[in-house]
Amino acid sequence: MPDNWSYVFAAYGLAAVVLLAYWRRLTARARDLGGQAARKRP
Amino acid sequence: MRRAWIVVWKDVLSERRSKETLNALVFFALLLLFVFQFALGPDRARVEAALPGLLWIAFVLAGLLAFGRTFLVERENDCWEGLVLAPGDRSAIYLGKLAGNMLLMAMVEAALLILFALFFSLDFTAALPALALVLVLGTFGLAAVGTLFGALTAQLRARELLFPVLLLPAVVPVLLGAVTATQTVLAGQPLASASSWVTLLAAADVVYLVVGLLTFEFVLEG
Amino acid sequence: MAIRVLGWLAVLALLAGLGAAFGYAPREAVQGNVQRIMYLHVPAVLTAYLAFALVFAGSLGYLLTRRPGWDRLALAAAEPGVLFTGITIASGSIWGKPTWGTWWTWDARLTSTAVLFLVYVGYLLLRGMIDEPDRRARAAAVVGILGAANIPIVHFSVKWWRALHQPSTILGPEPSPIAAPIALALFVNWVAFTLLLFYLLAKRTEIARLEDMHAG
Repeated sequence: MPDNWSYVFAAYGLAAVVLLAYWRRLTARARDLGGQAARKRP
Repeated sequence: MRRAWIVVWKDVLSERRSKETLNALVFFALLLLFVFQFALGPDRARVEAALPGLLWIAFVLAGLLAFGRTFLVERENDCWEGLVLAPGDRSAIYLGKLAGNMLLMAMVEAALLILFALFFSLDFTAALPALALVLVLGTFGLAAVGTLFGALTAQLRARELLFPVLLLPAVVPVLLGAVTATQTVLAGQPLASASSWVTLLAAADVVYLVVGLLTFEFVLEG
Repeated sequence: MAIRVLGWLAVLALLAGLGAAFGYAPREAVQGNVQRIMYLHVPAVLTAYLAFALVFAGSLGYLLTRRPGWDRLALAAAEPGVLFTGITIASGSIWGKPTWGTWWTWDARLTSTAVLFLVYVGYLLLRGMIDEPDRRARAAAVVGILGAANIPIVHFSVKWWRALHQPSTILGPEPSPIAAPIALALFVNWVAFTLLLFYLLAKRTEIARLEDMHAG
């Protein structure tokens, strides 16, 4: 059977994009919350 | 146990007076029958081949309507607190509501079978005992989860959306088992040949009932 | 911070996993290199199962103790659980296209995983619809517990249903028996995904804790 590398990269690429996007959302939220906490502290 | 009976009796009495839910559900079943006919076309063989699936689609859809309304009366008449504050075992309320739902579905399903027999010239009499068993096992699974999730979504704004979204994935095994067993029974084969499915249905029913009994009190708090 | 270390550990492990999947593991005889998707697909589903086990633990923990930390665990595990399940389905589908010829077959594992996906997406939707923390936690816990109890039931029902309609395909995505290099590559990737899960859990629970502090 031919190698079908495009499928392999599609699968790994999709997984990477999804996980990266989630991780970036988490870190952005953490930063916002950290900023809020700093502002609350007088 | 007695409290469960009280709940059932209360619901049965109020339903007997108004009959609104039962009438509407039977009428809904009739409408579904027409939808199936129009969707599948005049070819009788097609409808007959799809019959087990069609029956259970109808039961699930009717169940969505019926179970979603399980706590409608309490909600609309501001009796929710009454349920919450009632002393003693909350799981009795769950049992009572579940029994009420089973009764309701039994009548709807009987009506649906009669309607199907009429409109599609089908004869269920030979398969009836085995079919009844499959119907009870399958409907119990639907009702056990439906009553639990019905209570869970009762207080939510988005209950009409969330209730089906939560219920349908949860009852996939019931659907698979019930349709397969129904197919076996309607094909004239003995129920024993689908015994693994019947066992699966029974096991699922037990699991759902136990989870419902154990978790219902947490649903009912405030 | 410990979370940072965990994060870097996960990154290292993932890189090692990629190396194992593409460098170390051999080219499969029958399917060719497309089989390497398995090093993503199988660890993803295993990690998803672990995540959902944690949702169950969190759900049970909250109902029994009413401590918010348990509910935060359930939430923090459900999100990556859904993600990994989605990755499992997508990678399984992408793998299936060149090997089986179609994007989707109602294959037992794909179907069970899809049902799992639906259950826990519903879980997250439910959580999104309730604002009051205690009510949300309780409702989610009930759904989480039923969902977890249902996993084996779904698994068997789908497997039997599948067996009815088609005998198991010989050209399945799993090579059997599993050779040592393949097993090692699978193992490395599974460890990497598990570390990633724990990192995401740590970060998500921290965020949830901060949000609860701000709200309360």
